[in-house]
Amino acid sequence: MNEELDSQLSAMFDNELPPAECELLARRLSRDTDLKSRWGRYAVIGAVIRAERGVTLDGMVAGRVSAALSSEPALSADAAQPAGRGLQYHWWQPLAGAGLAAGVAAVSILWLRGQAVPGGSHAVARAMTVVNSPLAALRVQSPLPSAGVTVPDSFVVPPVPRRPMMVVPATELADYVVAHSAFSWPVSRGNLLSALMVSEPGTSSTPAGSEKPAPGVQGNAIQNPK
Amino acid sequence: MRSRIRSSERIGWLVLALAVAGVASADEPAKWLERMNHALTTLNYDGTFAHWESGKVEMLRIIHRVADGTVSERLVSLDGSGREFIRTGASLTCYLPDKHVVLVERTPAKVSLLSGFPAINDQTARFYAIKEVARMRFNRRSTHLITVMPRDQYRYGYRLWIDDSTAMPLKTQLCDANGNVIEQLVFANLKVRSRIPDSAFRPSIATTGFQWLSNDSAPLKETVTAGTTVWNADHLPPGFHMTVRAAQTMPGSPGPVDHLVFSDGLASVSVFVETHVQTTSGEAVMESARVGSSYAFSTVVDGHKVTAVGEVPPQTVRFIADSVKAEKTSESARPAELAPLPGGPFAHSPPPH
Repeated sequence: MNEELDSQLSAMFDNELPPAECELLARRLSRDTDLKSRWGRYAVIGAVIRAERGVTLDGMVAGRVSAALSSEPALSADAAQPAGRGLQYHWWQPLAGAGLAAGVAAVSILWLRGQAVPGGSHAVARAMTVVNSPLAALRVQSPLPSAGVTVPDSFVVPPVPRRPMMVVPATELADYVVAHSAFSWPVSRGNLLSALMVSEPGTSSTPAGSEKPAPGVQGNAIQNPK
Repeated sequence: MRSRIRSSERIGWLVLALAVAGVASADEPAKWLERMNHALTTLNYDGTFAHWESGKVEMLRIIHRVADGTVSERLVSLDGSGREFIRTGASLTCYLPDKHVVLVERTPAKVSLLSGFPAINDQTARFYAIKEVARMRFNRRSTHLITVMPRDQYRYGYRLWIDDSTAMPLKTQLCDANGNVIEQLVFANLKVRSRIPDSAFRPSIATTGFQWLSNDSAPLKETVTAGTTVWNADHLPPGFHMTVRAAQTMPGSPGPVDHLVFSDGLASVSVFVETHVQTTSGEAVMESARVGSSYAFSTVVDGHKVTAVGEVPPQTVRFIADSVKAEKTSESARPAELAPLPGGPFAHSPPPH
């Protein structure tokens, strides 16, 4: 049974699963935690195998890293009760986030299947980043879709700015990060420089006074300004 | 009577010993963080590690050396972009072959990488729960698993697998306030060496035809004279305070850029203030961006572009950027929190090991 599901997941990522089966699998994905976890692993491995961003690791390494990550439980949230004034934390948020994330994951597959997405596998990886974040999922304004209901695209696509994108030059942002790194904790410094080395700074812009971007969401920008 | 005194003395000693042991064990995780800081910044090492973030994995190599008080460091992307960062003393050169650009950043002379990290103290403990949760084998090495959990959502947390013998972090996870892993570094191999030759710090990239962008360091503003306009934040997320005020030039910026650093002891946010070049539309624009798990937020205040950058959640950089204001100073109103480097919360005392 697992092999069959794995085969279906693999076919889905290769864009070879018939639309009807894809829809069924997406619905099952929204209910089945284990399947959702496997879907996440497939996304990572798929991204690596497709050599996105020039990744040339073999699938085993990526799989091990991904598997290690998914096998490690999250740190206890008990110690993370908020002390700040501005942010409220409720016990139900992680549960709601997980539930919503599952729903949004299913929706994203349906949406991705239905769109001719420029960028192909890049777009899949980005969508995965967005929908796997409980915080991002919590920002979804609409109620959860139920099976058979037509799904609005806005669940997947971050809010469209009311004015055209304005891109911070990547080199300028890189320079800020480099200048900041001199004042960072050594561990953070390592993270900062490593991230700068492997990633393209993403930028999203919104007019003054508009809603702030969702935490954890890159917006719709991985820009190549130059 | 005598035996009763002896037995009460024994109990007293026992209670004292237990109390001391309790304090020692409570301090121990923080000491491991200080040992790790010390190891990362003072040892000579050469290692290969996997960087994981947002489902992407990339291998990098780091070579680090301290010789005669000068830090040399080389970070190389082994696949993908092929980028290289080479630090020699106060100069950091970033080779970006995918953009045909070389960035040269010169840190103000007084900023030393050897002193530029915080001491773990009671203030830190107010905003993070620091615990040793296990001792375990990792990659055939004995490690201490230390967790640094944020107590609110203005900062990130860490899980650190610290090598028992070298105090190097063999695996590092950056976590959000709910403990979800958002970025990870894992060493595949790591060698601590007695010496590393100069040749290890030469770039492997030919830079013919590349655009070179560099800045010139300017002295830190250690004093603020009366009547000067200074930039300050009128309120900050809990635990953050200004630790550094500096001025420097940035590539592409027409004038000096004010550089403020706010820290809670572990996390830090830099704020850069520079003259804003008006956009054609004339409308104020707020921008947010991310590099890995770090965020930047930029806005315009009184004709100046204010950009906050830090390894913190997006709401924190926005909070701080939105709080930055220009103030005219008087001698009596000199900001008390000005702390020229080195010193203040970034002062480093050698950790016991």
